[in-house]
Amino acid sequence: MSALTDPKGAIAELTRPEGWVLGVSVAFLLFLLAALLTGALGPTYFLFLVGLAGMYALLSFGLNAQWGFTGLINFSVAAFFGIGAYGSALMTASGSPIAGGFNPLVGLAVALVVALALALLIGIPTLRLRADYLAIASLGLAEVMRLIVLNERWLTNGSAGVRGIPGFFKGWPVLSTFPEAMPGLRLEIVPGSPIFLEASFWQALLNVLLVLAFAGGTYLVLRRAHRSPWGRVLRTIRSDEDLARALGKNTYSFKMQSFVLGSLIMALAGVFYTHLNLYVGPGDLDPITTFYAWVAVILGGSGSNRGALFGGVVIVTIREGTRFLNDVALPIDPAPLRLLLIGVVIVAVMRYRPQGILPPQRELIWPSAVDGGGAPETPDSGVRERKGGGGDE
Amino acid sequence: MSEGALPKDDAVLRVDDLQKSFGGLAATDHATFAVERGTITGLIGPNGAGKSTLFNLISGFYEPDGGTVEVNGTDVTGMEPYQVAEHGLIRTFQTPRKLEGMTVREAMLVGPRNQPGESFLRLFASPGSVGESESANLADAERILEEFEIDHLAAQPATDISGGQMKLVELARAMLAEPEVLLLDEPVAGVNPTLAKKLKSQIRRLNEQGTTFLLIEHDMEFVMDLADPIVVLDQGHVLTEGTPDGVRGDDRVIDAYLGGGA
Ligand SMILES: Nc1ncnc2c1ncn2[C@@H]1O[C@H](COP(=O)(O)OP(=O)(O)OP(=O)(O)O)[C@@H](O)[C@H]1O
Ligand SMILES: [Mg+2]
Repeated sequence: MSALTDPKGAIAELTRPEGWVLGVSVAFLLFLLAALLTGALGPTYFLFLVGLAGMYALLSFGLNAQWGFTGLINFSVAAFFGIGAYGSALMTASGSPIAGGFNPLVGLAVALVVALALALLIGIPTLRLRADYLAIASLGLAEVMRLIVLNERWLTNGSAGVRGIPGFFKGWPVLSTFPEAMPGLRLEIVPGSPIFLEASFWQALLNVLLVLAFAGGTYLVLRRAHRSPWGRVLRTIRSDEDLARALGKNTYSFKMQSFVLGSLIMALAGVFYTHLNLYVGPGDLDPITTFYAWVAVILGGSGSNRGALFGGVVIVTIREGTRFLNDVALPIDPAPLRLLLIGVVIVAVMRYRPQGILPPQRELIWPSAVDGGGAPETPDSGVRERKGGGGDE
Repeated sequence: MSEGALPKDDAVLRVDDLQKSFGGLAATDHATFAVERGTITGLIGPNGAGKSTLFNLISGFYEPDGGTVEVNGTDVTGMEPYQVAEHGLIRTFQTPRKLEGMTVREAMLVGPRNQPGESFLRLFASPGSVGESESANLADAERILEEFEIDHLAAQPATDISGGQMKLVELARAMLAEPEVLLLDEPVAGVNPTLAKKLKSQIRRLNEQGTTFLLIEHDMEFVMDLADPIVVLDQGHVLTEGTPDGVRGDDRVIDAYLGGGA
């Protein structure tokens, strides 16, 4: 709100890393725009990348709600992602070995319910214990899920994966036929490099709208939760669980809520992925997804929702931006090189900015309480700059 | 051995025949005593006497091997710490607890119990009620910080204040939880005399307003001046209890402190 009515003031309020991130993001967007206009970057592929960025942002949001808020160590991000992906795929796909053919909304609901059940299953025995137990159990869970998907062919088609997945909007009034109904367009903004917008482009646009709805909604929910008394209890648990217990907080219940919330968000990312990729296979449960989510959260700044968003975008940029390496003759394969690059980034962040690029740095108090009786503000507007402190660099 | 149990008048906390061993060591050895409502009761004893262990047993952090704990007439033995807190008993820790990434004001706001905003659903179902309670709690927090003369610290990171100030913040935050009985583990350890004096007067004032205190303290001058009665713990059991003067003159207490056991 204030950023719209008073853009200058909003920019002046930014801390240095925030300004830095803003600058780089704007430059990056301009670069992408130029690539789009000159035809160097296909518009459909670009929208696919935006969708992917939204998906990684969701994964990071989910992990941030667990690790960033509460300090829960979850190494089974890929498993919950896989539950979302396979849950919706098996319900909706024509090639599903079980049910199949349901409306994608049913797939979404089933995926979330299964993820909830799994979160409870692993949370109930471990969340009463010390933090390490969840870490170990989740590591095991990730592997078990991966093996189930790979080996239980009657359920998952095994290594063949699931095909024939419809778009998310199948069966919706206007949206289901929208891509075909739209005319093919030919744009020539930069002379000599025409851009074609066909059905696949409009389909990709729908996907972007979907992920914007998922990620945007999740962001708003997490932002409100983070600066609420609920979020404050989680942050207390992260620092010192015994203190929270001594002050009368049922920490087991709070940890469970945080774990379930994060797991559902990860499953949501999986549901989106299913309808983006239209194919799921056991490779989608590889631990690399967990690794990426952790990198994104640590890079962005644990506890910070904006940081998680930023980290998600960086991951996609590194992942996809290094694709051109496939065409270059290199002494080593691009895949390990990519991981090496991420490793270097992580080491650099740990060394020079251990709190992450965009750590949470504002006092987190329910806004209407801080701004005093005056204008009734919604909890989603207006943040209060932390006074004093100034410990930022 | 329980024929000496106190008459059931107005004890806000009652510990009966409590036992706890670590390996072969009886850290709490058939401890029995009561804290009368409205008192500031002192708990003293040499290092390793089992004072902190007793706090952990009372507040639900440790499960006793035997015996019972009653808060406000309810048997809370074996309950979770948060449940004991719900019965009106709040405790602090011997080593101050730091809240990373929070300002002092935020750290204070963890204190109030059962805030509407601690329910995830209410954040979305009735944000208005969350805002109201947060405003009220914030006002309370700022008032208490003022009373404790540390309101200038409100916006400081909670990890960047001195050890003594941290003790004050802990006491202030505990008050926001509105305890009936507050257990303080060495509130003035490492606190300079001026701050200690401030803490003493705050405890006295809060006591006059109705809070009962049970406090562990090694600073004899502090505890003898503030507390009455005083319970003396040695090797896990209650050696004696009585007025400060009575305890001070007791030979067994002097023996315990001079290490007569070894
Ligand atoms: N968790 C534990 N595991 C094993 N032994 C313990 C544990 N907690 C306390 N003890 C032992 O129990 C005895 C009592 O310890 P406690 O901390 O209760 O003493 P204290 O009276 O608080 O001492 P101080 O005045 O030094 O704080 C000590 O011998 C200690 O080593
Ligand atoms: Mg102690």
